[in-house]
Amino acid sequence: MTVSPRRMRFHWSLPASGVADRRRGARFRHEIDQFADLDQQRDFCVRADELGLDSILLPIGFQRADPTVLATVFGLATNRLNLMPASRAAVISPTHFVQQVNTVSALTNGRIEINVVSGQGSDELRYYGDFSTHDERYERTDEFWTVCHALWRRDFPVDFEGRFIHVEGARINQSFVSPDRHRPYVYIGGSSEAALRLAIKHADCLLRVVEPPEQLRPKIQPALDAGIEVGIISSLIVAPTHDDALLAGHALAENAGERGRAAVAEWREKTTESVGFTEIYQLAEDRSSWLTPYLWTGLVPYMGPMSISLIGSPDEIVESIFSYRRIGVTQFMFQARPDLPTLEFFGAAILPKIRQREAAELAVDLIGEGR
Amino acid sequence: MTPLRFMWSLSSVGDKLRRSRSLTDMSGLPNLDEHVEFCRRAETSGIDSLLMAFGFTRPDPITYSATLGAHTDTIRFLVAVRSGIVSPTYFVQQVNTLSAVTDGRVCINIVAGRAPDELRYYGDFLPHDERYERTDEFWTICHALWRGEGPVDFAGRHYRVEDARINTPFVSAERTRPEIFIGGSSDQAHALAMRHADCLLTLPDTPQRMAPKIRPVLANGTSVGLLVTLICEPTHAAAVEAAHALVDSAGEKARTTHGALRGRSDSVGYTSVYDLAARDSDWPTPYLWTGAVPYLGPPGIALVGSPDEIVDALAEYREVGVTRFLFMGHPDFEQMTFFGEEVLPRVRARESVESSGRV
Repeated sequence: MTVSPRRMRFHWSLPASGVADRRRGARFRHEIDQFADLDQQRDFCVRADELGLDSILLPIGFQRADPTVLATVFGLATNRLNLMPASRAAVISPTHFVQQVNTVSALTNGRIEINVVSGQGSDELRYYGDFSTHDERYERTDEFWTVCHALWRRDFPVDFEGRFIHVEGARINQSFVSPDRHRPYVYIGGSSEAALRLAIKHADCLLRVVEPPEQLRPKIQPALDAGIEVGIISSLIVAPTHDDALLAGHALAENAGERGRAAVAEWREKTTESVGFTEIYQLAEDRSSWLTPYLWTGLVPYMGPMSISLIGSPDEIVESIFSYRRIGVTQFMFQARPDLPTLEFFGAAILPKIRQREAAELAVDLIGEGR
Repeated sequence: MTPLRFMWSLSSVGDKLRRSRSLTDMSGLPNLDEHVEFCRRAETSGIDSLLMAFGFTRPDPITYSATLGAHTDTIRFLVAVRSGIVSPTYFVQQVNTLSAVTDGRVCINIVAGRAPDELRYYGDFLPHDERYERTDEFWTICHALWRGEGPVDFAGRHYRVEDARINTPFVSAERTRPEIFIGGSSDQAHALAMRHADCLLTLPDTPQRMAPKIRPVLANGTSVGLLVTLICEPTHAAAVEAAHALVDSAGEKARTTHGALRGRSDSVGYTSVYDLAARDSDWPTPYLWTGAVPYLGPPGIALVGSPDEIVDALAEYREVGVTRFLFMGHPDFEQMTFFGEEVLPRVRARESVESSGRV
């Protein structure tokens, strides 16, 4: 088995409901006010920066603040960290979008990456005037990114006439500013075939919700074969010992309780088109809540599909991360309940162990090649 | 009597000859330090907002305002927006987020766009009149979202949203939505301003000719502002000299550039300023000067004079109902500083005399 020599990258998804929220995902979406916690979120980014995280994901949705504006102000508050706003193709002109991203790049020395999402629920997309179907959304996203990439290549003037997007003579003067890139690093999240195709065509990394490695391997192989990276999205439940981590996990479910279940049921109703979410719900229902000794679905009924968790002691988490690395996963997007203490724990007790082992394996690899 | 309010354009700050350059020559890169210094100076010069223009030659005004907001305390950002390039729901979400990170220091300048070829860069292929119709729909949705009266349903010719809502409100101590300006001189722009805006921003004509045009807008309760270049020097002669020096420094290349731009514009306001500038005299009134228009375009129409003359000029516009002024200067920093030191105190002194006189 070949070990990718690529340095693993670790990201965190910023919660809308507060960095100290133990019920992330267990709340009714219309009750969330991200503004209530903005200062703490900025501090969270500063901590992530100090702890050596690579990027902070700023998701998009009606219950949230705008991720591009947040990327700007959180970028100003940090030094090395990348900010990763999520982007939906239907809400903005691709030219205007590239202009916004390039402006942020100029102000943060290129510390902006993009997470392309096609939207999870039709209801919410209609809030924004997007009445397309799941497949049409991917088609629109494809057109959107075709135009964006042409603008970033500065193939001016850019002319494009598709089914959804039409620009003529497009150019923008502000280029993407970065020490080493002419455009932002692009992630595409999704579990459908359409998402995979889109990622191979337009992105640098496919992001998928975590599954057991042996199940995930065939699904990500086409992306790896095409030369793009693969990342997994997972919740993290960590404690000094295995038993403590389990106790913490169960306490979270208990705390979310019936209200959490009701919020998840409502959210599920609205996101039935998401292939990835549907798979996770099924995983959580069909089998034991232990998919592997470290992958636990026990929170999913209470906190939704994104609460599928890697759970355990620091050594167990490190072990699990390397089990994904062996199948080619090089990026990890975490969230937690609550996020801030888990970030602190991860940064202090887990990330150094990962880097140590990574360096050791890389050294072995290099010696191997030397022979 | 409400005091006059003054705004300044950040559009050309740090690029003295910006208006005389060809558009594709410009770097979009903002000189942040210089702009922050300008914002700070605006704060001490009695300017309440800075115009953040929109266009392919510029940084994005929303994210750029967020950045300048992080470096300043009181100045507000007048963010230009075009409909047709963003979903109204998403736009409100961006503006609300900008308000949250600047303590409400954001207001909006609605522009219809003036060069159809540039609008197509952004995917906007509508003709002039339909752009106004679309802008009307856009703002109908925005206002409904800001009123926060529950889910918004709207089905128009250009926009359709269903059950729209966003959780994040406009954040401000005084307002539930940003103050809204609409730039334009056509009948549609006036109608739009009366329906959706707090202030109509227009290019100047003589006060006498402006009066009948803006009367319906004022009667509607919408205020009126002038977008105008300011050339103010210690004496009348020095101001006139500065005006002529400005034209000389812009030179013939600028004349060619603006000749070309004129042909691409479908703006009523621009056309009428070009027409005004084409008349025999460069001085429609003793303080209103069109001499720079062929070189700098219609925003080059200027109020020229000594501080006392400028105070008189502002008072004449005020007589016909103009209460806001959005200035540009050449160079901006020095003009704004001079305005803050020499003109504004005289304006305020006169205002306080007049209001005590009325008591």
